[in-house]
Amino acid sequence: MAASVREKQAVALKRMLNFNAAPLKNTAAEPVWKVLIYDRFGQDIISPLLSVKELRDMGITLHLLLHSDRDPIPDVPAVYFVMPTEENIDRICQDLRNQLYESYFLNFISAISRSKLEDVASAALAANAVAQVTKVYDQYLNFITLEDDMFTLCHQNKELISYHAINRADIQDTDMEAIMDTIVDSLFCFFVTLGAVPIIRCPRGNAAEMVAVKLDKKLRENLRDARNSLFTGENMAAGQFSFQRPLFVLADRNVDMATPLHHTWTYQALIHDVLDYELNRVVMEEGAGPEPSPAGARPKKKNRKTYDLTAADKFWQKHKGSPFPEVAESVQEELDTYRAQEDEVKRLKCIMGLEGEDEGAISMLSDNTAKLTSAVSSLPELLEKKRLIDLHTNVATAVLNHIKSRKLDVYFEYEEKLMSKSTLDKSLLDIISDPDAGTPEDKMRLFLIYYITAQQAPSESDLEQYKTALLDAGCDLSPLNYIKQWKAFTKMAATPANYGNSGVKPMGLFSRVMNSGSQLVMEGVKNLVLKQHNLPVTRILDNLMEMKSNPETDDYRYFDPKMLRGSESSIPRNKNPFQEAIVFVVGGGNYIEYQNLVDYAKVKHGKKVVYGCSELSNAAQFTKQLSQLGQK
Amino acid sequence: MAVDITLLFKASVKTVKTRNKAIGVGFDSPKDEIFKRSRPKSGFSPKAKEVISNITKLKDFLLQHRKDYVSAGSLISSDLTRMTDNERDQIDQDAQIFMRTCSEAIKQLRNEAEKQVTSAQLRKHRGAVLDLIEVYLRGVCKLYSEQRAIRVKRTVDKKRLVLEVPDNPVNLWDEGRTEDELSPEEVQMFEQENQRLVSEMNSLVDEVRQIEGKVVEISRLQEIFAEKVLQQETEIGSIHQLVVGATENVKEGNEDIREAIKNNAGFRVWILFFLVMCSFSLLFLDWYDS
Repeated sequence: MAASVREKQAVALKRMLNFNAAPLKNTAAEPVWKVLIYDRFGQDIISPLLSVKELRDMGITLHLLLHSDRDPIPDVPAVYFVMPTEENIDRICQDLRNQLYESYFLNFISAISRSKLEDVASAALAANAVAQVTKVYDQYLNFITLEDDMFTLCHQNKELISYHAINRADIQDTDMEAIMDTIVDSLFCFFVTLGAVPIIRCPRGNAAEMVAVKLDKKLRENLRDARNSLFTGENMAAGQFSFQRPLFVLADRNVDMATPLHHTWTYQALIHDVLDYELNRVVMEEGAGPEPSPAGARPKKKNRKTYDLTAADKFWQKHKGSPFPEVAESVQEELDTYRAQEDEVKRLKCIMGLEGEDEGAISMLSDNTAKLTSAVSSLPELLEKKRLIDLHTNVATAVLNHIKSRKLDVYFEYEEKLMSKSTLDKSLLDIISDPDAGTPEDKMRLFLIYYITAQQAPSESDLEQYKTALLDAGCDLSPLNYIKQWKAFTKMAATPANYGNSGVKPMGLFSRVMNSGSQLVMEGVKNLVLKQHNLPVTRILDNLMEMKSNPETDDYRYFDPKMLRGSESSIPRNKNPFQEAIVFVVGGGNYIEYQNLVDYAKVKHGKKVVYGCSELSNAAQFTKQLSQLGQK
Repeated sequence: MAVDITLLFKASVKTVKTRNKAIGVGFDSPKDEIFKRSRPKSGFSPKAKEVISNITKLKDFLLQHRKDYVSAGSLISSDLTRMTDNERDQIDQDAQIFMRTCSEAIKQLRNEAEKQVTSAQLRKHRGAVLDLIEVYLRGVCKLYSEQRAIRVKRTVDKKRLVLEVPDNPVNLWDEGRTEDELSPEEVQMFEQENQRLVSEMNSLVDEVRQIEGKVVEISRLQEIFAEKVLQQETEIGSIHQLVVGATENVKEGNEDIREAIKNNAGFRVWILFFLVMCSFSLLFLDWYDS
């Protein structure tokens, strides 16, 4: 994996946009214009990777949704990037009939079946447009890469493969098959883009095993099919730079139910938890006025701002995993550096004004012109920096407001203590009945974590007490039913997950961190320091990568699609530790696990870890799914 | 990674064709294909392509003669590859005229596109196409100005070399002259004066060279400033519009308030009148009754 998955996918997209020829490096090349048409899936894949400006640079004048009204634009080639579903094919056929564009380049996100291809062919014939359909490609890009080392499977229709869809009681076999097929198809596309055939390990007896079996079969079939194997030729050459094959660990959400509900303290995870954050884009409301407007006046318009948090944003890349107080300090630092640079530029103006009157000031002038040139050329960078600082200040302030109003730091501390089984200084009942500490949802989450991590179930009377307290606070108790079932089930199956020892030290005795002149005054918010600990998923990965023997993971099945005979044994043939790993969670993932894996990879030098999940859900969405499951 | 299934597609087309023939489904006779689509050849596309081909020609021309143009050429080089300054000036002029015509053509296309009544998407598409062409033209212009900057620098350096060379011949000349006509003191005086003049000229030349460099820099900066000022101008224009709108609104608001006060006052007068009339009528009834 010399280049990250994100780069590979971006390169593949750029190739596609260049009519599937390698893009030229010529700086002053003739512009060739084209129109890009995508469906919602294509939009989700393209938007985290390429900005509108980059699309423009590649010559794309218009980008439109497939199912919108489109006017005919003659003499222009059109590049389609869609999923091969029935409605999309129908719409393409309709376009062919209406002769909207001059030539058509059809790119299907995942492989199109023979019958659907014939549908397109017959429509093209009927419209006499066969010559116009210039190229048809299967792109195998059916996954969304959000970061260099994180991907998810889908964002549209994610409730079809969510935790709720997989674990509900009334699921049919056919539904399950369909869900598994979707997941396996996307994973297959992922490995084709990566260009490597992994070794698969998965636990027994749950959805992850089904996915592993199917994926193994699909990879095996494709490898055997010598004619059109996707893993030969130049793909393999790229993948062979690493002499080892990557390890692919499939985990099921059921192995760790507390992490999705956990209140978190790192920047990116907080944004995902507290604000509206999808596909690297934050949507916030500006100017939230706390006071009601005076009677008779028109209500103040709240405008929504969207911010893109991209890979080019250096501050974001550096700090997306840092604890929140560190982020606040860094924003302040950046602001100070920026102000210093701005002052220098302004000072130059004064100097220039003075020197203009001096007669024999040619030599000094030369120095100043050089300074002026450098100042002017650095202006665009300064402006960009200012924009980023504003962005992060706004986002961090919004997050801080949420933390303060919901007292999320208290929750975080308490949950860390619960998960590490250290002594609790406040009773759970106190927190639950505290009226101004968090929304009912927060309290429910806290209680669920307590229930999940408790060694023995609390006694009936205790439980009743908690329930009444929760009902008083206005919580919905249906997730609790489901968690009870789950706990009973997992207790039978295996030992409950151990969350490792994590200590949470409140930093010092001061409970306020005042930055002079800072807008982010963290009054009353404890400055908590995270000590490194490993979540269950990270521990599983560690065991499998280092070939450590552990009762939890010894039982995992072993699949190697390259072996001639599929074996049922779970004895790995390869005894060396792996250098690269891909962790995939079936049933929903979150940024907390991702951050934990990133930290783990940093500690172990030279190992690369990629995190994937079937869908990303924050705690609110996950609780909703649990309550839906509990209501059955 | 991407699999080209165009051949598969063509094969399916053939299958469908044979299937249709077998079923006997009538499809459009191949005659229509000969007439192809007599689509309205909207003049936009070919014109845009023409502009692009022109710009490409200019680029090729510049790149072709770049080596010759830029070659400093030692004083003793073959005449074949060296360009005279006249030729260089000619190239400069031609290139400038060409670039001007191209940008004129782009502007014209833009106006035409605006005037034509078309769908919103088509208009946006055309705008974006023209932007792309402009960016391309700007890139080629940059090539040209780079070339020109190198040329200016070389001539400046060359002049410096040329100026320093004549120093020696002048001195030799002095010493070779017969000393019958001038006395040794006068010769020495002349020599000193010569030296003085030469050093003066040198310092002048130095200063001029420096100033020239500065002026080039300043002109570049000025270009950037001009761009920024133009941007600000548009922004100021929009702010002006907003302010005008705001004053209008405030004026109307004042009018409305005046109206309201008047109505309020009028209303009060009527109420007072009504109350007075009521009390008078009461008094009258009372007096009438008793």
